[in-house]
Amino acid sequence: MGNSKNHPDQMYIEGLAANDSAIIQSIYKKFVPKVVFFVMNNSGDKEQAQDIVQEVMILLFNQAKANTLKLTCPFDAYFFLLCKRKWLNEFKKTSNKGVTIHEDIVSMNESAIDLIGQTEEFDEKQQLFDTMFQKLGDKCQELLKLSFSIKSMEEVAEKLNVTYGYVRKKKSLCVGQLTQWIQEAKNFNSLKNN
Amino acid sequence: MNEERYILFDQYLQSEMTAAEKTDFEKQLAEDPEFASEFETFKAVHIQLENKFGFEAEREAFKENLTQISEKHFNTNKPKVVLMRPWYYAAAASVIILFGLFFFDYNQNPSFHDYNHPGQAHFTERSTTDMHLLQAEKAFNSRKFKDAILFFEMALKDNKTPEVQYYYGVSLLETSEYKKAETVFNELKATNPVYKDKALWNLAIMKLKQKDYKGCKQILQTISQDYEDYDEVQELLDALD
Repeated sequence: MGNSKNHPDQMYIEGLAANDSAIIQSIYKKFVPKVVFFVMNNSGDKEQAQDIVQEVMILLFNQAKANTLKLTCPFDAYFFLLCKRKWLNEFKKTSNKGVTIHEDIVSMNESAIDLIGQTEEFDEKQQLFDTMFQKLGDKCQELLKLSFSIKSMEEVAEKLNVTYGYVRKKKSLCVGQLTQWIQEAKNFNSLKNN
Repeated sequence: MNEERYILFDQYLQSEMTAAEKTDFEKQLAEDPEFASEFETFKAVHIQLENKFGFEAEREAFKENLTQISEKHFNTNKPKVVLMRPWYYAAAASVIILFGLFFFDYNQNPSFHDYNHPGQAHFTERSTTDMHLLQAEKAFNSRKFKDAILFFEMALKDNKTPEVQYYYGVSLLETSEYKKAETVFNELKATNPVYKDKALWNLAIMKLKQKDYKGCKQILQTISQDYEDYDEVQELLDALD
């Protein structure tokens, strides 16, 4: 599937990444009503539908910015299924009830399912990362924030009023701490899954 | 935590290794799956940090724009019931309350006009010959109080009786000459016991006319229960409560 060409609907992804209002508006106009209809028919209301759509849009923006979102199927199906699954997950979380999901997977093409898997994996990784980042001490958080927004480590050292060597070492260790935690979570998950 | 290892990872990513160090590092990657796996995670964390902070301003701008578009989209499509936000209810309620208060106020407080009975003056029955008084009476009885005041003032010069004073006072009250009316009624109250309660009543409804309900009540409470129209006093007192 790696050699499948980008779908013409890739323009929606690029529009999101570029914060293009016209594209965002057309997504709302063309694809959102279907999501609202679905949420409202599955124990939700309009405001919940609005939140779900917004969450998915931000997720797509993040994935597009990370350059890992290459559309290989129509945006319509991809977007709708993402929203649908997100809503059902949310609903399961809050209602504690079993939900019967009537997924018409038969009608979905393989690349759409694959793509949704990728996006959901991206979402999970990002959430795990955010959780771990919040676990870091304030000093580590600040240093990483500066290091990755300023880029020049000399400038970061100057800003924090410490030496370049210290900043470099500290940065490696802060990233290392995150790495260790995430690695542990990964190992735990693979144990759980196997 | 394996500090050495993370420092090594970072040096490799920043291309700060000598050729020999690099070869060593890559050899270890190839031979040690655990080492390689951890390095992959380290790289992934790097990418996530770059995403998180490298695009932070852009992300905030996107979120803001998205929220605006979303609000616009959902609000134009929302049915009216959903549209009613709390402040709309609050606004609607205030309008109703204001509207209600307007009438409430109007109905609840007694109005001067309900209690204003100037009555008829009958000086002429007593075969008065005073021309001014005759004219005053005529003007008063046809409710031309402004004219009546002028004639009463002339009549009072020759003929200062409590009765004339009383009707003069009523005329002043009708034309809202509160200060003058008050002087007249106060004088009457102090000098003539027969007119005392009548004067008090007029002072009370004068307060009512000026919407001074508290003042009106205070005066009403000083009126003797023997007063001929005490029923009306009681009624007004009740209305004021």
